[in-house]
Amino acid sequence: MSIHKSDPRLLSLLHIPGLWRGNAHAATASAFADRGVSTGFPALDACLPWQGWPRGALVEIITPLWGIGELQLVLPLLRGLSQQGAHSLWFAPPCSPYAPALLASGIDPAHLYVVSAPAAQLLWGIEKALQDAACALVLAWPGRVSHRQIRRLQLAASAGNTLGILFHHGALRQSTAALRLRVEATRQGLHVEVLKARGSYRQSTVALAREAP
Amino acid sequence: MTGRLHQLPLFGRPQRALRLTRTQTPQRTPDKTPRTGRLPPLWYAIALPQLLGIPDAQAREEKLALLAQRLGQLSGTVSVEAPDSLVFEARSSLRYFGGIHSLRVHCRQLLQPVLSEWGLPVDFHQAASPTPAASLLLARAGCNLLVHRRENLRSALGRLSVQSLTLPQRRRLQLHNSGLRLLRDVWRLPVHALGQRFGTQFLRQLDQCLGHVATPVRAYESPPRFDSSLEFDYAVEGCERLLPAIEELLERLCAFLQARDLSTLHLQLSLQHEAQAPTLIALDMRHPGQFRAPLQLLLETRLSTLTLPAPVCGMQLEAWRFKAASAAAQPLNGLSAGEGTAAPTESARIAPLLGLLQARLGDAAVHSLQSQADHCPELAASTTPGHEQGGSTPAAVLQARRPCWLLPAPVQLQQHAGQLLYRGPLQLLSGPERIETRWWTGQEVCRDYYVAMNPRGMRLWIFHEREGERRWFVHGIFD
Repeated sequence: MSIHKSDPRLLSLLHIPGLWRGNAHAATASAFADRGVSTGFPALDACLPWQGWPRGALVEIITPLWGIGELQLVLPLLRGLSQQGAHSLWFAPPCSPYAPALLASGIDPAHLYVVSAPAAQLLWGIEKALQDAACALVLAWPGRVSHRQIRRLQLAASAGNTLGILFHHGALRQSTAALRLRVEATRQGLHVEVLKARGSYRQSTVALAREAP
Repeated sequence: MTGRLHQLPLFGRPQRALRLTRTQTPQRTPDKTPRTGRLPPLWYAIALPQLLGIPDAQAREEKLALLAQRLGQLSGTVSVEAPDSLVFEARSSLRYFGGIHSLRVHCRQLLQPVLSEWGLPVDFHQAASPTPAASLLLARAGCNLLVHRRENLRSALGRLSVQSLTLPQRRRLQLHNSGLRLLRDVWRLPVHALGQRFGTQFLRQLDQCLGHVATPVRAYESPPRFDSSLEFDYAVEGCERLLPAIEELLERLCAFLQARDLSTLHLQLSLQHEAQAPTLIALDMRHPGQFRAPLQLLLETRLSTLTLPAPVCGMQLEAWRFKAASAAAQPLNGLSAGEGTAAPTESARIAPLLGLLQARLGDAAVHSLQSQADHCPELAASTTPGHEQGGSTPAAVLQARRPCWLLPAPVQLQQHAGQLLYRGPLQLLSGPERIETRWWTGQEVCRDYYVAMNPRGMRLWIFHEREGERRWFVHGIFD
């Protein structure tokens, strides 16, 4: 809580029950019936209103370049899903995922399917996968997406209660995705900036250490 | 008088027998009564020793099955006798084909083109006799004989070696040591003693050859194939108007499948046009289908992306790869709450989605990943398009770190004044890990792998050739 405790006028305002406190996301988090799935990074969990990845929502991860470590963010999630035997679909990844590396990270490649499709058909496939409750996670590299398309995917994700993660280089200033993260690489690790998290106005940045190669 | 009546051929002609009793004038039995029912069967065996040269047993069986399918034109009962022979019942076909010699010519005309197409010698051994076992024995021994009567079997078989029977090595040696070289020698011995000395298996084979004991023959059945077509009264334009016809064809297919308790993995729909080659739609399914609704959904999804080159005047639906329907059974979700059954349930749940994606995006669009136990980085992973996954080998878990992304082919690194460059100068973080393998293929892999980082934060898996031009390549990106 970063409220100036010294000011009595502010303190009196805090006693009004109808006042909505946008900053206090910890309080609103309890209002979410189900908490999210932990990201595997406690520092990042603390910044997010769901204490992790949201459920049935669309997440955008914006990077300046492929391969700077953005996959690190989802590896713990994939590991957890693999242990549950849940399936994930990867749409148009920049190159082929390497099965021995996934196995070494504790992810069974048998639970993972790669879908390659022409750009015109890709969003159709992503939407169908998000709508399907049998698919637990959709990772997609769709290239350029418009405002409307993101909104449609967000609706599909909530319909199928599937987590969808879009990786792109990000040109949109705002979108209807539940969570937007900007990831940059530093010499020590990853620098994750929460651009938008639904239900919280806080814009925080987290520095995460990368696993040593 | 009654004793004479008993000798009369009663079958088919009871009136005559009655008449004979009345007139009391028995005559010699006429020869014109139908004889086919009384004649013993004639088994025609074909031995193809050239097939034994094929090392792969499965390929050999497939070839034999193909030949058996062709012989189906000659006889209703064809049996495949692994590894190199075929037997068919020839008696019932003799009259139609006009005698055994004409049948032999037909047989040769049927088999020789196939054999020459496979590049095999076109000659084969053949023998015919009243028992399938004797025919096989004669054909395999290379005696091209025709034995009409069962009484002659003993003398016909007498010239064969006892070693041509299928016996364990111990029995063969025992027969040899007893001085029994030919079956003729065996015929001279008393039967009881034979069984005691050489075992019942030996005796049963002899009995089967001579026709004392029936030989079970398993008739070859050609694999099922579904082929159904519809002709339209007028040419149809637009995919939506084809849907009722597709529904009709699928209805027929499902009736076919359910009657045989099968499910299908592959469908081919061809749309016929008036003056053009037909449009082919091949559908490979991840999950065997038996019911109309899911199959129709897949076909409709595929059709929705199709633009017809011309109006359609007819369509044909074919299916020839089947699976037993019980293999397609899905567990009841409520009952499979146990730990071990969770995974198959999950894969069964995802299958419809994957099938839908495949139907619209093409069969090669969906891949599953596999890991193989191989030191060569390129070969340690493979993607299989379409069908069921083969399963990974968990034994292949490596201690050394591998990149999550492997480039489709290594990209050569540029160097400037001794400094490696990939979107900026590279800094080595760890290494080297030496990989030396595949020297036996002539394309030897002999590399030192390092982990490097560029200024933009990409961690790369790079290698240095240890032989040849000693170039540097980037092979993967870590995460």
